[in-house]
Amino acid sequence: MSWELHHVSIIGAGMMGRSIATKVAQEGINVCLKEISMERAEEARSSLEETLDHEIARFNLTEAEKKAILSRITWVTQFDCAAACDLAIETVQENFELKREIVQELDQRMPPGHPIVINTSTLSITEIAASCRNPERVLGMHFLYPVTSTRVVEVVRGQLTRDEVYDRAIEFARLLDKVPIKVFEMPGFVTTRVVLPLINEAMHVVMEGVATAAEVDLALKLGYDFRTGPLEWADRVGLDRVFNWMQHMFQETGEARFRACPLLKRLVRAGLLGAKTGQGFFAYDTNRRRLDRLPDDKPGLA
Amino acid sequence: MKILVLNSGSSSVKFQIIETDLERMKAHQDKTLATGLVEKIGLSDSRLVLKIPEKPVYQDYHEILEHRAAIDWVLRALVDPDHGLLEKVEEIEAVGHRVVHGGEEFASSVLMTPDVVEMIESCSVLAPLHNPANLRGYHAAHAILPDVPHVAVFDTAYHQTMPAHAFLYGIPFQFYKKRQLRRYGFHGTSHRYVSFRACQILGWKRADKKLITCHLGNGCSVAAIDHAKSIDTSMGFTPLEGLLMGTRSGDLDPAIIPWLMAMEEMTLHQINTMLNKHSGLYGVSGVSSDMRELLKARAKGNQRADVAFRMFCYRLKKYIGAYAAALGGADAVIFTGGIGENSPEVREWTLRGMEFMGLVLDRDKNAGIIGSEGEISTPDSKVKALVVPTNEEKVIARDVVRVLNGLMPSFNPPETFD
Repeated sequence: MSWELHHVSIIGAGMMGRSIATKVAQEGINVCLKEISMERAEEARSSLEETLDHEIARFNLTEAEKKAILSRITWVTQFDCAAACDLAIETVQENFELKREIVQELDQRMPPGHPIVINTSTLSITEIAASCRNPERVLGMHFLYPVTSTRVVEVVRGQLTRDEVYDRAIEFARLLDKVPIKVFEMPGFVTTRVVLPLINEAMHVVMEGVATAAEVDLALKLGYDFRTGPLEWADRVGLDRVFNWMQHMFQETGEARFRACPLLKRLVRAGLLGAKTGQGFFAYDTNRRRLDRLPDDKPGLA
Repeated sequence: MKILVLNSGSSSVKFQIIETDLERMKAHQDKTLATGLVEKIGLSDSRLVLKIPEKPVYQDYHEILEHRAAIDWVLRALVDPDHGLLEKVEEIEAVGHRVVHGGEEFASSVLMTPDVVEMIESCSVLAPLHNPANLRGYHAAHAILPDVPHVAVFDTAYHQTMPAHAFLYGIPFQFYKKRQLRRYGFHGTSHRYVSFRACQILGWKRADKKLITCHLGNGCSVAAIDHAKSIDTSMGFTPLEGLLMGTRSGDLDPAIIPWLMAMEEMTLHQINTMLNKHSGLYGVSGVSSDMRELLKARAKGNQRADVAFRMFCYRLKKYIGAYAAALGGADAVIFTGGIGENSPEVREWTLRGMEFMGLVLDRDKNAGIIGSEGEISTPDSKVKALVVPTNEEKVIARDVVRVLNGLMPSFNPPETFD
C-alpha cells in the first residue's frame, strides 16, 4: 500500500501544536489544525502570527515564508479533516483521558495504516493505544519546543506499534529535517528522563541556599557550555509543565529522584510559572526576554 | 529541436522555448518561440507572463507559493489551446536548467544524470538560496518530462578560468584543499553572453578586448573579462560576496559575524538568513529590495532609500575601478540584468566622474535606454559603455545542443595545486 505525506492533522493548537504546525507547513505540507471552538482557533491564529512576526524580527523567517506557512494551515473545530489526512498528531495537554479520547476519535476516522502520533513525554503510548481498534498504527513522537529550531525528535514505539507505521513516522521526522532518536516506550524516554533530575537538583541547590538561581544557571552555562541554564530552561518551558512531568515520572517510576523539589511546588502554587507569567526563578518582560541577568552572564568575545 | 529552458530563482521561474540545433546555431537562426516567467513566488499576487511572437501577451494571476506549482502552471499555459503554442508537453525534446553553483566539479555544462543531480545537491551547501530552487525546478520538470534529456548549465563554470591569485581567500590554504573553499563567481552564463554580444554590436573581436560586465539583477556581480576569459568576478564562495544586492549584504568585515553572534546571541541560522534575506537594499532602506520601489521612495525624499541607492552605485563604481586596474585598462563597461537594463539612474550614478579613465557617459542616450540594447557613452568616449539585455536562456539552449552532440568546450582552470 503506497503512502505519501501531503496532509497532516494536528489536534490542539496550543504552544506545541502551533509550533509543530509551523514546522510542517514550512516543509510544504498542508496542515489541519483543530481547536475546540472558533474563538480558541482565532486566538491561536493570532498567537501564531505574533510568533512568526517575532521570528521575522529575529531574522529566522521572511514575510513571504510567513505567508506561505499561514496559507498551508487550515483552522478547524471538527474531527472531519482527519478522514483525509495521511498522519495525525495530537498535542493536547498531558492528560491521559483526554489523549485517549482524541486517539479513539482519530482511529475511527483515519484510513487504516495512517499513523496516529501521540505527542507526550511521560504517558504510556501502549495504554492509550490499547483502547483503539487499530492500536498498531499508534506511536509517540516527542517533539521539543520550539519545533522550528530543535533538531531532535524522539520517535516512540509502543508495544503494539507495527514496523511499517514506525518507519513512516521516521520518514516524517526526516521530512521535517529532524534527527529521529528511536526509543522504546518508557516514561520520560531519553530527553525528559535525563533532564528532569538535573533541573530538580538545581532547584534543591537553590532551596538549600548553596547558591542563587542566577549563579546555579551561570555555573552550568559557562562550565558545561549550556546555551540556557536549567532553571531558565524550566522557566521557559513553564514551571507548571515541568511540575506535571515530574509528577507523572514519579507516579510511573516511584523513583525518589523524580520527586518534585518543594521549591518548584511552591512557585507553581503561587502562580509564578516562568517566562509566560513574567516571573519564575527569574523575571521576564512581555517578549519573554529575561530581565535580571547577572553582569557576568554575557557573551564573551576573546 | 524545441528546448525548454528553465531558470528557477529564489522567487521566480523564467522560462523560454527555444528552437535550435547545430545547423541553426551555425546560421545564427536559433528561434525563441516563447518566453515568460512566473514572478513573486511566495506572494499572493504571483504573476505568469507568457509571450509568444505575434500573439497577444498572456497574463494570469494566482497565488503561487512554491516552484512545483509554478512550473506546473507554466507547462499548463504552454499547452493551452487558446494562448499556448504546444499541442502536448511531449513536443519538448530537451530541458536546459540554469544551475547556480557547480563548485570545482563542473567547468562546463553537463547532462543531468542521477550522479550529476547528486553532485549538484552536494553543492547546495555553497549556495543555499539558489541550488535548492534550481533543483526544485529540475525535479518538477523531470517529474513531468521524465524521458527527455535534462542539461545543467552552471553559473560558476565560466569563471573557472580565474587564476589562483584571484580565486583564493587569504585564509589558511588547508581550507581550500579540504573544503574547496575558494571564490567561484556566479552569473557566468550572463557575463559570457553579454561580453560576446557587446563585441558583436561593436564589431570587435572578443579575443582582443578587455571588458567589465555588470550583471545587476536580484543578485549582482561584476566580472573582469580579458581576451574572452573571466579573470576575476565579485561574487565569491557563495553569491553573497561583492556588490550590495536586493536582500544580500555583499562585502562586509567578516569580524561582524562572530561579534553579532555574541552580542545579539544570534544563531548561525539567524546570521545566515539576516545576511542573505534581510540585508542589502531592503535591509538598509527598510523600504524594499526592489530598485524600482526604492527609486520611488527616494524621489519622495526617503533618506534611507537614498542612502541605499547611493551605496549600491558607489560599491559598483569601486569594483569597476578595481577591475580596470586588474585588467590594465578596459575597452568597455557593460550593464545587464533587471537593474542594469532598466535603471538609467543607477548607470548614471555609477559612471559619473569616470572621465579620468576615458569613460564619458552620454546622459541623453543613457536616459533613453530602458530594457533595450545600445551604447550609452559618447561617440568619442575611449571606453565604451553599453546596455545589453542578458540572454542566458539562449546560451543555455545552445549548451543543451552542444552537450547532446558532445561539443561542449570546457573552460579549463589555468592552474591546480597538489
